[in-house]
Amino acid sequence: MSDKPNDFIDQYQAFVRAGLETWSRQFDPASEGAAASPSADIMGRMFSGLSGYGDWIRSMAAGEPGAAPFAMGGVPPFGQPDPAGGSPYGPPGAFPPGAAPFGYGPPPGAAPFGYGPPPGAAMPQPGTEQFDEWAKVAREALSMPAFGLTREQQEEQQALFRAWIDYAEHYARFQALLQGVNDRAGAALRDQPVPSDPESMRSVYDRWVNLAEENYGEAALSDEFREVYAALVNAQMRLKVLQQKQVERVTKQAGMPTRTEVDSLGERLQAMRRELRHMHGLVAEVEALRAEVAALRAGKAPGKKAGVSRRPIAAEAASTGKKVAGKAKAVAKKGRAR
Amino acid sequence: MNGNPFSFEPESARAEVEAFRRKLEAGMETLKHLGPIELGTTPREAVYSEDKLTLWYFKGTKKPTAKTPLLICYALVNTPWMVDLQEDRSMVRNLLAQGEDVYLIDWGYPDGADRWLTLEDYIDGYLDRCIDVIRKRHAIESLNLLGICQGGVFSLCYAALHPEKVRNLVTMVTPVDFHTPDNMLSHWARNIDIDLFVDTYGNVPADVMNFAYLTLKPVRLNQQKYVGLVDILDNPKEVENFLRMEKWIFDSPDQAGEAFREFARDFFQKNQLIKGEAHIGGKAIDLKKITHPVLNIYAEQDHLVPPAASTPMGDVIGSKDYTALAFKGGHIGIYVSGRAQAQVPPAIHGWLASR
Repeated sequence: MSDKPNDFIDQYQAFVRAGLETWSRQFDPASEGAAASPSADIMGRMFSGLSGYGDWIRSMAAGEPGAAPFAMGGVPPFGQPDPAGGSPYGPPGAFPPGAAPFGYGPPPGAAPFGYGPPPGAAMPQPGTEQFDEWAKVAREALSMPAFGLTREQQEEQQALFRAWIDYAEHYARFQALLQGVNDRAGAALRDQPVPSDPESMRSVYDRWVNLAEENYGEAALSDEFREVYAALVNAQMRLKVLQQKQVERVTKQAGMPTRTEVDSLGERLQAMRRELRHMHGLVAEVEALRAEVAALRAGKAPGKKAGVSRRPIAAEAASTGKKVAGKAKAVAKKGRAR
Repeated sequence: MNGNPFSFEPESARAEVEAFRRKLEAGMETLKHLGPIELGTTPREAVYSEDKLTLWYFKGTKKPTAKTPLLICYALVNTPWMVDLQEDRSMVRNLLAQGEDVYLIDWGYPDGADRWLTLEDYIDGYLDRCIDVIRKRHAIESLNLLGICQGGVFSLCYAALHPEKVRNLVTMVTPVDFHTPDNMLSHWARNIDIDLFVDTYGNVPADVMNFAYLTLKPVRLNQQKYVGLVDILDNPKEVENFLRMEKWIFDSPDQAGEAFREFARDFFQKNQLIKGEAHIGGKAIDLKKITHPVLNIYAEQDHLVPPAASTPMGDVIGSKDYTALAFKGGHIGIYVSGRAQAQVPPAIHGWLASR
């Protein structure tokens, strides 16, 4: 042990960090034994959680309970990253930042879409007055008309940039809301009577979790939270739509099908499938009626087998699906359904 | 830790953290030597498949005593294997042991080809065809339908649309009123631009859904749970159980875009089911048409479908034979807890057997 008062916390954090790094290597295709362990994913999540526990212990040691536990590693609802992260702006033709099209995805908790500040921009932190001033100037600049051959692309870039500023602002509001919850949970813990008997750090932690969740739950059901949460999600979607538009432009240039085209084909195909099923149903009904008419003409009452309605059961199913009862696919006792 | 209001001693805290670290370090060995995790252990055979869907028929160790088969209709979110998680935590296995004849719909993992599937395609299409297949296999007019969570909503809609094909209806943790004050998911969804959301995502990624669920209790589900895991790291069996649940939580399907749009907009945002305003494929869903015997099982500590979201069912359906059963537990515990194994399948079987 060194003289440093909290060296044990440092050692714990270092261990957790090392664990996280080891786990991250599982996702590096170049590393030996990448993703070989079936428990790699759980280890990632476990170490992320334990890292938060380490942060909490450190806060405790400083007499300040709980450090930003709600942001889930800086990832707000629906996985938007911190806007201060990577850049959404690449040269035309670049893959969307943060995407790893042929590699492995980011570890849990990491930003799936690397939205960040514009390249080279010395941008203040969202949520500060400086950012607001910067955003005002940036918005004005981004409202200037575009000209020339690439005017449409320029306008798209401007719209993307404005959407990013909106998103950054909503992100800051959401973070402020979570910080408020965190502060209230901490205050509630401090306001609780101190137990007369010494307690374990873990039991204090569990007490704090209960208070944190209680305060979070209360806030999360408020009108303000609902409004801020939805505004953030909507802002991210507006940003993502514009980003997709840029990607589509590039895909078109590369002679590849775009998502819009694929979606359009899918929609038409699904409509045709519905129509086809409807027609199969009609054919089945006509067949049933024909059989009835034939039976009546022959002077017999229409036959009706027990348990079978006039409309042939599973007529549609037979025409669209695969009945596999006859050649049932037996599944091994521990088989996995997919 | 000067001046902090907690009654632990610095030395004991140091010892506690070091002990925790040692336990974690030792536990790594357990994690390294675990094999693949499998869900769904009860022997079964596929009797029908269509697109991504599979209709499973379960094989018990004895012949079913129930005359009417029971079809389990699970939600589109997560896989249906929560009802057959492992040998000693399986609602399916216990229903078979009671004498039920059990089928299960596995909706599969939708991809881009399924992006335009609507609620009509799911309820009046897939579900209806599965029911027809079972009716034909057993030469019966109607079967017993057990809907779970969103699958319960599907089952209610189905029973209202095709009352003649359902004999008895069992719903588990099924919401009918989406606007109760304690419904966090619905509260959050209320102001989201669902059209923009679906138009942007297409199919809604499973990770996005999981993220939303985790943020219902962020500290407990992202941090405390894993701190607790360290306590059991020296017990491979316990760790396997933990991992099975973990796999079920995170190995979840994307949501077909159009079906998600309709469900989020019409049910979560507009609360149309309880208002009698819901439509599936243009057909009105009149819950008063549900005159079948109905057993509604809800969980008292359910943070996803609060009891208040489910209990109004008896008032809005047309059935005169309605039974509500409260289970002491949560949304997941109702399938996997020891108490659930002992209470829920016998309650379902007993209720069905008496009708």
